Amino acid sequence: MAKAPTKATVARHSQQIAVSSGLTKRQRRDTWLGLAFVSPWLVGFLVFTIYPVIASLYFSFTDYNVVSDPRWIGFRNYTDLFSDPLFGETLYNTLYLAVLGIPFSLILSLLIAMLLNNKLKLQGMFRTVYFLPSVVPAVAAALLWRWFLNPDYGPINEVLWQVGINGPGWLSDPRWAKPALILASLWGVGGSMVIYLAGLQNVPTPLYESAHLDGANAWQRFRFVTLPMLSPVILFNLVMGIITSFQSFTNIYIMTGGGPSNSTMVYALYLYQNAFQFFRMGYASAMAWVLLLITAVALIAIFRTSGWVHYESRS
Amino acid sequence: MSEPAIVQRAIDGLGRRLAKRLTQSLFLALALLAALGTTGFALAKTEITFWYAWGGSEGEQVEELIAEYNASQDEVEVRGSFVPIGDGERILASLAGGAPPDLLTVWDWMVVPLGASGSLLDLSAELAEAGIGEEDYLPGIWQYGSYKGAKYGLPTTLNVYAFIWNKDVFEEAGLDPEAPPRTIEELDALAEKMTVIDRRGNLRRLGFYPNVTSIYFYAFGGQLYDPETLEVTLDHPRNIAALEWLGDYYEKYDINLIRRFQAGWGNPASPFNPFYRGQIAMQEGGQWEVRFTHEYAPDLDWGVTTFPAPEGGRPNVAPVQSSFWVVPAEAAHKKEALEFLLWLTAPEQSAGFAAELANIPPRQDALEMPEFAQTVTPHMQTFIDILLEGYVFTPPGLPVGLYLSQQLNQAVVSVQEGEATAKEALETAQQNVLHELEKYR
Repeated sequence: MAKAPTKATVARHSQQIAVSSGLTKRQRRDTWLGLAFVSPWLVGFLVFTIYPVIASLYFSFTDYNVVSDPRWIGFRNYTDLFSDPLFGETLYNTLYLAVLGIPFSLILSLLIAMLLNNKLKLQGMFRTVYFLPSVVPAVAAALLWRWFLNPDYGPINEVLWQVGINGPGWLSDPRWAKPALILASLWGVGGSMVIYLAGLQNVPTPLYESAHLDGANAWQRFRFVTLPMLSPVILFNLVMGIITSFQSFTNIYIMTGGGPSNSTMVYALYLYQNAFQFFRMGYASAMAWVLLLITAVALIAIFRTSGWVHYESRS
Repeated sequence: MSEPAIVQRAIDGLGRRLAKRLTQSLFLALALLAALGTTGFALAKTEITFWYAWGGSEGEQVEELIAEYNASQDEVEVRGSFVPIGDGERILASLAGGAPPDLLTVWDWMVVPLGASGSLLDLSAELAEAGIGEEDYLPGIWQYGSYKGAKYGLPTTLNVYAFIWNKDVFEEAGLDPEAPPRTIEELDALAEKMTVIDRRGNLRRLGFYPNVTSIYFYAFGGQLYDPETLEVTLDHPRNIAALEWLGDYYEKYDINLIRRFQAGWGNPASPFNPFYRGQIAMQEGGQWEVRFTHEYAPDLDWGVTTFPAPEGGRPNVAPVQSSFWVVPAEAAHKKEALEFLLWLTAPEQSAGFAAELANIPPRQDALEMPEFAQTVTPHMQTFIDILLEGYVFTPPGLPVGLYLSQQLNQAVVSVQEGEATAKEALETAQQNVLHELEKYR
């Protein structure tokens, strides 16, 4: 039989809760006070991040053109995706840029970091020079690269012509546009380079010294000391590379706008077009969720196979 | 009392005091606002917000018009701000958020999609009441921006496309500079004679460059949709014929060579415009070329005429584009905004504004106003004649907006890439647009 709760039972009850959550009255008040102090951030996070994320999930099941009310259409946006040839094409373009671009940038930034980790004259200047491109605004860098890659008066084709090669149309040729974008993106390796540099400086010198004493040559020292010690940093750069690469937008929007012939139409660009140019916000939301799913699967696969990552604290 | 406890109490006290203070100031502010609302605000003019889409000297012209209107009466105060139309996010956000400006400038392709979803005011009743109708506007313009009997906006100033040719290049190639092509066969022959390829195998000059595909659909006798029945007709047999012809052109001159050449073209609004530099001999151009050539290529000898057409096609197409003035359905001051809009589109204002933008005023009576008529050069007159006498067509006024254009581009790309025949490509586009249109039934 349920009894109506009296004041006393309520008080006892709340005391029990307080006890069971391990907090005294004062601690609870502190918690509330703390929450109140961070509330501006909390509210912002809930309103501007969590709410839109959840809303977009709902919109992905609706026909929604932003200005009129969303209409529930079930899975139609998702089924439409699979009959939309551009969906497949943009996904392919995005994966192409990621699969070819990320390893290149990982290797190049590691190479530069190792060079700059040597005790050189003007070490600081070199580090600055290699890092500088990463602080150039994306739009400015994109415009610069459009000029570099210009088939008629760009310096790259001019140099090629000097050695007798009629260079390709680069960004204006569907066969060359994606490699050209990867080439241009390598200019921004400074960010991951700095992270590698920090990682390299954390490798304890005694490890190198003992490897040296054991007769390890330079390659062996790199393979059995540097690489394992650096592997968490490599994993970090790989994960960040995948996330940013799947969402790449600005440089491509400026450099090619998705052309020629959709050869550089990447996922984020097509999503943007659907949302803000074709007024298909529901469809764009569905695209966003599919991208999230693909990113999640890729990252889970990477973490599952990350046996090669060596964590010092665990060994 | 231990030290942390003292700190704790201090914080508690501070919190309570702060809360009390905040409450007090809030009440004070509310009281002040209420006082202001009953006294001060009653004396102020009604303020209407107006987003226009022009910067620079054109924007200054709009601000002058606003100042003139504000000085002309003491009921309302128009507050203008330059909001580039761009891709529309800001406009969409203001409409969706329920706090739009009172008067707004949008691209033509946005008008019907926004109107059909209930975001824009249907102006037809008010326009009828003000005695403004089809006969006041240039032929073929009144329907522009309308959908199923509703009129969702008024065109600002018109852009019209025509066929333009560089007479200097004709002469250089030993051709008669006064004889532009009249048929598609003549166009093909002239294009071939003037195309130049350099020792690297790259294009130096294109005899003819087709850019706005739909113009040739109409010149061939086709259409993107039926303006009467609103039926989409992307796979019209004459559209297919036009796209086949374009496909042959892209194949003959190698689309990748053309794209490569294109990458080296300069900004159209500069002396490096490829047409001004003779990199293109013939192309489509709008009436803005009159202003641009005057500014960037004063020595250029060029001509304007109607588009060439094949036998059985339309030899007089006049493609028209414009931006629109619209009143959002949730605007706070619809009546005042409409009044201002009527003033803004009256012949005097319209003529002066069009002259400043080197566009064509959409109203018949504005064409004759001295503000505009005095600025008309022989080139401009040809553009106007083409518009007045030609077969006027505008971008399809359908709720699917840009999606249709994207599908059309997609069809052109698949033909360029040899992935589909013109017929297959346009049939696919047609199906996709119909599928998208189902949502609006």
